Amino acid sequence: MSEVNSRKAENQSLTGKRNKRFLEVRKPVSRRQKILSGVGIWAVFFAVWYLSTHAGWVNKLLVPAPEQVFGSLYELIAERGFMSDIGISIARVIGAFLMASVVAVPLGILMGTFPAIEAIFAPFVSAWRYLPAPSFIPILLMWFGTGEAPKLALLFIGVIFFLITLVMDATKNVRAELIETALTLGANRRITLFNVVLPAVLPDVMVAMRQMLAMAWTYLVIAEIVASTTGIGAMMMRARRFLNTDEILAGILVIGALGLLFDLLFAQLHRWLFPYLREKR
Amino acid sequence: MSDALLTMKGISKDFELADGSAIRAVNDVSLTVEENSVCVLLGPSGCGKSTILRMMAGLEDPSAGDIMLKQHPVMGPARERGMVFQAYTSFDWLSVRKNVEFGMKINGVGARERKEKAEHFIKLVGLEKFIDAYPTQLSGGMRQRVAIARTLANGPELLLMDEPFGALDAETRWHMQELMVQIANEENTSMVIVTHDLEEAIFLADKIIFLSAHPGRVKEVIIPDFKDGKRIADKEHIVQLPGYAALEHKLMRLMREEGERE
Ligand SMILES: Nc1ncnc2c1ncn2[C@@H]1O[C@H](COP(=O)(O)OP(=O)(O)O)[C@@H](O)[C@H]1O
Ligand SMILES: [Mg+2]
Repeated sequence: MSEVNSRKAENQSLTGKRNKRFLEVRKPVSRRQKILSGVGIWAVFFAVWYLSTHAGWVNKLLVPAPEQVFGSLYELIAERGFMSDIGISIARVIGAFLMASVVAVPLGILMGTFPAIEAIFAPFVSAWRYLPAPSFIPILLMWFGTGEAPKLALLFIGVIFFLITLVMDATKNVRAELIETALTLGANRRITLFNVVLPAVLPDVMVAMRQMLAMAWTYLVIAEIVASTTGIGAMMMRARRFLNTDEILAGILVIGALGLLFDLLFAQLHRWLFPYLREKR
Repeated sequence: MSDALLTMKGISKDFELADGSAIRAVNDVSLTVEENSVCVLLGPSGCGKSTILRMMAGLEDPSAGDIMLKQHPVMGPARERGMVFQAYTSFDWLSVRKNVEFGMKINGVGARERKEKAEHFIKLVGLEKFIDAYPTQLSGGMRQRVAIARTLANGPELLLMDEPFGALDAETRWHMQELMVQIANEENTSMVIVTHDLEEAIFLADKIIFLSAHPGRVKEVIIPDFKDGKRIADKEHIVQLPGYAALEHKLMRLMREEGERE
């Protein structure tokens, strides 16, 4: 009897529909609840921000109100040519990222396919991975001066060695049975590489590129803050000189939005290019 | 069923371990696979069945001995010896049709012939409704059928299969075994099938080669002559034949002996 009672307490009724509780272990939530929760947490964030600035809990000079930040973002774009800074930053990220990918993806795939090539490049690549890219800034500035070259070089160095390693590991994860199947069907090395290894690893290569693109944004901001007169980072450093905290925060906002946008673009590209993965059982 | 298709003579295989020592996986194995026959390699787990099959496929080199396909020494993997693995090997980025055409395409078979053959073998394995589906949309048994159709369509002289139904549930496995008997009958394909499943061995085999454990050696060659030289594509029927139970009992005893030797 007492056992029945305690079950009742937990589940409300033994036969009828069980009451829904807020916290359920590993039970997926509805789309509606997901959206509401996501919007909710941001609403709380902005509310706290708004309140703390307007109630005077924080120094308004250091923490401008949210509407002030959005206002100066609008002003930056509409009147002060901020769009061209944004454009320059995007061009730098994409340019350097493409250059790094053009080298890293083929090399990583070759290293993951042919142990002889891995034996040559792996000792070199893994050593470079332990050198933080920003430590090269002083020497890059001396070599390349102040143009675009040092910024592109920093992003290139920051991305390429990690990308090579990620692509190589993804290639090594292509199952041996797939390759052996191709061989027993009569494939030579070229066909095995281009018709089996390459298509098998491409989805994972895209995932690796997506991760490294996020990294490229990080290095971009470092490059622009340290050594640039153009781009989003440079705008933020200029604003610092005039104590325009609202413009600094507007810059952060834009960087975040761009990072998110590129991530979504990559996710969408993944869906377009590999429709067969969507059906996965 | 008389001419030799593949022969192994005095085959041994040593694997070198990381510490530099070597272990012998296969020891002095000699065997013959006859043309148009289904030969089953049976033995306890770890006795070297996969290693022997992989040497037949050319995926491993023997440490000693010779392998001949008809009059030619086997060297490296080739189209003439197709292989089906236990793990799924469908190319997920290709439709079922393109999967089955893959071998023919890389071997320069023309588009018209490719299409005809692919459709024939996809029909043979009962996947015509899924011809334009992607493998990721298929169940495990269906994927294994794609792999079988792909290998057969490539026209191998010998079909090698390493526990091809080991990952399937019992009912699907049963259907697949019946399909293999049907294929052996209709296509006259010579096969070597590795298994550790006694029932499967008796059902499929024209000849069972029983291997002993560690290192693998041929312990006994058994012809299931209760089948009277016929292949019976019906499992309920075969288990009722006189002689079935006796053979199963014999194989069980062999298995047990080998298991206890370890
Ligand atoms: N690549 C390898 N390296 C080292 N040892 C191996 C390798 N492949 C197989 N072996 C060993 O050879 C023996 C036979 O293995 P295998 O042919 O896979 O047996 P089975 O297929 O009959 O289960 C086992 O003891 C296994 O550990
Ligand atoms: Mg095995």
